[in-house]
Amino acid sequence: MLGKIRESFRHPFWQAIYLLVLAYLLFDFGIAYLPPLFGIRSAPVPNSVVFQFTITALVGILLYVSDNEEKWSKFKEPINAALVDADKRWIRIALIVVIPLAVGWTTYSRVRPSVAAPVQLRSIHPAPPRSISFRGGTIQLARLENPLRADGSTEEDYEAGMRVYYQNCLPCHGDLLDGNGHYAHGLNPLPLAFTDNGTIPQLTESFVFWRIAKGGPGLPVEGAPWNSAMPAWEPILSEDEIWAVIIFLYEQTGWTPRTWGEAGEGGGHE
Amino acid sequence: MNKWPVFCLALSAFLVPTAGAAGQDVQAGQILYDKWCAGCHGFDGAGDGYAADYMLPRPRDFTLGIYQIRTTSNGSLPTDEDLVHVIDKGMPGTAMPGWEAKFSSSQINDVAAYIKTFSPFFEREGAPDPLEFGRQPRREGIAEGREFFEQIECFKCHGDAGRGDGPSAPTLQDDLDFPIRAADLTENWNFNGGGSVEDIYRRLRTGMDGSPMPSFSDLIDAQFMTEEQLWHVAQYVHSLSPEEGPTISDVIVARRFEGDLPASPNDSLWNQAEAFYIPMVGQIIADERWFAPSVDGLWVSAAHNDEQLALLIVWHDPSESPDPKWLEWQQSVAASMFPLLDSVGVTPLPDRLTVQFPTSIPTGRDRPYFLMGDARNPVYLWQWSSQGDVVPEATATGLGNVQPRRGESRTLASSAVWHQGEWRLQFGRSLATPDSEAELQFATGELIPIAFYAWDGSNGEQGSQRAVSSWYGIHLEQPTPPSVYLSPVIAMALTVGLGLLVVWRAQRREEG
Repeated sequence: MLGKIRESFRHPFWQAIYLLVLAYLLFDFGIAYLPPLFGIRSAPVPNSVVFQFTITALVGILLYVSDNEEKWSKFKEPINAALVDADKRWIRIALIVVIPLAVGWTTYSRVRPSVAAPVQLRSIHPAPPRSISFRGGTIQLARLENPLRADGSTEEDYEAGMRVYYQNCLPCHGDLLDGNGHYAHGLNPLPLAFTDNGTIPQLTESFVFWRIAKGGPGLPVEGAPWNSAMPAWEPILSEDEIWAVIIFLYEQTGWTPRTWGEAGEGGGHE
Repeated sequence: MNKWPVFCLALSAFLVPTAGAAGQDVQAGQILYDKWCAGCHGFDGAGDGYAADYMLPRPRDFTLGIYQIRTTSNGSLPTDEDLVHVIDKGMPGTAMPGWEAKFSSSQINDVAAYIKTFSPFFEREGAPDPLEFGRQPRREGIAEGREFFEQIECFKCHGDAGRGDGPSAPTLQDDLDFPIRAADLTENWNFNGGGSVEDIYRRLRTGMDGSPMPSFSDLIDAQFMTEEQLWHVAQYVHSLSPEEGPTISDVIVARRFEGDLPASPNDSLWNQAEAFYIPMVGQIIADERWFAPSVDGLWVSAAHNDEQLALLIVWHDPSESPDPKWLEWQQSVAASMFPLLDSVGVTPLPDRLTVQFPTSIPTGRDRPYFLMGDARNPVYLWQWSSQGDVVPEATATGLGNVQPRRGESRTLASSAVWHQGEWRLQFGRSLATPDSEAELQFATGELIPIAFYAWDGSNGEQGSQRAVSSWYGIHLEQPTPPSVYLSPVIAMALTVGLGLLVVWRAQRREEG
């Protein structure tokens, strides 16, 4: 038995089969689960991509088994035997039953009616306005720096921001600032994870001020659909409280805000 | 990510002499604690951080040295492993998250060492050895567990069906006189100390100190029951929850019925429609905000027959409000939460539930603002109150901007039953109505936005103080087109034909 398996490693047909299975396993599971073993973040590959990758691998394998005449005819041997040999009759019948069943099932699962909510694509960092109204006044956003950083008492502002965060932001954005507070599971879209490098490190503090002050309802048209539960904090938090909680967000996550030099006029990233 | 704090911590681990037990660095623990824990538990560990008035149950007060989740006997301090375990895993059903993904085990050890310094008891007495819990008996004894569930009077707080609706439930307070819920034993994913049989058995043996949950170890000592019998109680309690916790689906599928729809909330026809779980959270967006919602989830089933749509909404609520027995609870919740409200806790309030739709099926991707719509995009509401004091249909253009719809042509019907801590509410309406301007016209095959609000009157909830959901979608099934069955058959026939052809040709070639 063992000898037979070892022998099969040298046979082009079985080599092709093993390679194909290995490639499929690598695409479907390997990409998702191997990198985390080395501390690298990864995610499962979508089925359609696995399918594409596997087809590509199949083409490569066919090129390999057909690169010379001898290998190619050896590759075809077991296939021909299964089709022709009298003692392989049952394999033949099994294949003629199993393959159509698989095709039927695949067809059925493709045409059967299923419902899924459409993916809600939205622009992550819509361009901010040049100025916003705030509690009756006007705030120019372009080139605006966090005024609390000017007087150098960051520690006090951090503490003030901590209070604001824990009394207002915590239930959704969470203790770990990872968007996984104890209310997060009830929200769709999910609260933002400030720990992600695609969030606040890409933004100027004035952009963050705008998003906190105006929330989901204040998103511009290109930011639609604004199906976000993020409230507009303008009626609840004062200007200083918003600037303080911004200091807290950056201190707590260890990110630094984007500066106007790198951000250009928009303040968001393109 | 700024690596400096971590580096400094690592460095200080070498430089600063360890003050706690072996390998524990109290000072490093303090730095982490002040940054990550003090917001809730307070800088002096008294459970009075900034967020303390904004959650129920409140953060633990470490100065008392009283801990719920232990492996030690009733009334004792927890072991270091107990503290580390809770920090690692968090406490399900509360605001306490698990920290194991964020911090290394030595950092968590340090935090545990620092937490112990808040209470003089740790230095004075230290923790005793953990109890011997043994192993779960191989034989499952759920029926026997149920007998002891009655004998040792679990139902007094947790209720006969385990939904936290026992006769004592409205009176429960913790050691600091804050209101505390009897756990809903049918939702083990919310058990503070974990939902496995082993977890439950440990809570039964150690009690949950600081809460009304007693230890039952003394009943074993007094030979009233054996350890095995207490294991059976744990098995019984575990059996009250579903095998798997709820999963959240974006879409509620309204099953298409040929003929009659279920006639009442308890109609067995409802078994044919799948129930979808909708998580609910407090309304913390607009004044008055609500940080202590009672309803944490709904199970929604839907059915239609091309004429009528029926919705069944099932949720757990330990009280059939308005109920004067819960007035004290209502006052006690109001007193412990921010903001302090004068209006709450004076009179018993009804339970309420509202279903929200847009007034018409959206053509684009935009939906009305999820919290009661907005000026440009109104919402259409189905309202129900346990006191019948609400107009069933309404439209709204924002919180506090509700316009009831009165008139002859109303076709919305609702009926509800409360039994052992569970509401079952059925709504029914014809798919089409005369007023197609303000009332949603249901169509099959479309994804129609739907959202929910729930109020537990006995918890002091009214007006904006409610539990809310995000938008979900409801899809009314269409009859299956015959092509769904035809296409696979054709595909299979073609494949068989092709296969036979290949075999036939190969054999011909062989013979030739």
